[in-house]
Amino acid sequence: MFIMALANQKGGVGKTTTAVTLASGFSLHLKNTLLIDLDPQGHIAFSFGVEKTPGLYRWLVMDEPLEEVVQNVRPGLDILSSDKRTESVKRHITLMDFRETLLFDRLRNSYYDVILLDMAPSLDVLHINGLIASDWVLIPTRPDAMAVDGVKEILLTMGEITQRGHQFAGYSILPTFFDRTTRETVTQFQDIVHAFGSKVLPPIPQDTRVRESAAYGKTLWEYSPNSPAMIGYQDGKNQVGGYKQIVDRLLEVIDG
Amino acid sequence: MANRNFQRRSILDPAVADLLAGMENKQAEARLPRREREKKAKERAKIRARRDQRVTYDLPPQLKQAVFDLAESLSLPASQLVTLALHRFMEAYTSGQIDISKYKKPSKSPRYDWKLEFPPEWWQNS
Repeated sequence: MFIMALANQKGGVGKTTTAVTLASGFSLHLKNTLLIDLDPQGHIAFSFGVEKTPGLYRWLVMDEPLEEVVQNVRPGLDILSSDKRTESVKRHITLMDFRETLLFDRLRNSYYDVILLDMAPSLDVLHINGLIASDWVLIPTRPDAMAVDGVKEILLTMGEITQRGHQFAGYSILPTFFDRTTRETVTQFQDIVHAFGSKVLPPIPQDTRVRESAAYGKTLWEYSPNSPAMIGYQDGKNQVGGYKQIVDRLLEVIDG
Repeated sequence: MANRNFQRRSILDPAVADLLAGMENKQAEARLPRREREKKAKERAKIRARRDQRVTYDLPPQLKQAVFDLAESLSLPASQLVTLALHRFMEAYTSGQIDISKYKKPSKSPRYDWKLEFPPEWWQNS
């Protein structure tokens, strides 16, 4: 089992879209996948075209078994969805002993091959739980100064968690909303690459079909599998970036 | 003194390195005078237009040299000479004038069932 958190304390950087697209991609590669929504906005369920449910609340607060609260949304892909009751989950966890390892303890014996945690853009007890439960942290970031500052904040938090004894297998930074024609994108991308080097994954091009797919309740694999966000840029004979390439890169990490 | 024969390793994801290099080239180009920018754009367009015409085949070195020598002696582009030769071959093959079966041998390649084996004397005199 491999647990990957998608985190950036800045909102609107493409965490949920990335989580939905990667989870679908892993399941299409025959990985038994669970996507957990840790954000009270509940947009994971919305993205798959199903109703939001208080799945996370029922699992963590009502102590219902995981297999009874997940929703199967695609072959080999389950989601544990959130809604506004996720706020009560945070209050509940805060009162518990060993509160920061609750997710880690609950997921330890899970039968999934891959578990993705879509984190809220905040720094609360659920966020810390998600990071502590993770083997790998994927940090989507827009190429703008505030989102890049969010990357720095996540890395600082990860550093604090590491000091408390948790070992991450690693992390990657995923540039999203990438528009290579604007000077600011180029400058920010250069800064990200110079600061984080090999941790930077090929970028996801800006693509309006991403928004359309969410409106239809379809994944990008279903709605527009050959759109720029999926297949990246044509660079000579090669494709650079796009979610298909990212799935391949991360499968290399998952399969060791 | 440091050994200059060592090759510097790239720590970047190869796709990221390619993209970054392309973007940096474009940025450098944007700072050039207008005339040079236009020249570069023309060169790029020319390369792009030729992309569909380009192909890579492995040829015996003697044949490659023979094509080069003939093209030089006729003062012609080698590509046009090869185009003429291949066109004539395709015509002859489709009209049944050329039989490749006598050169065909089973191949051990996982991709191909057959290979062509040519008489070695073909290359000795070329």
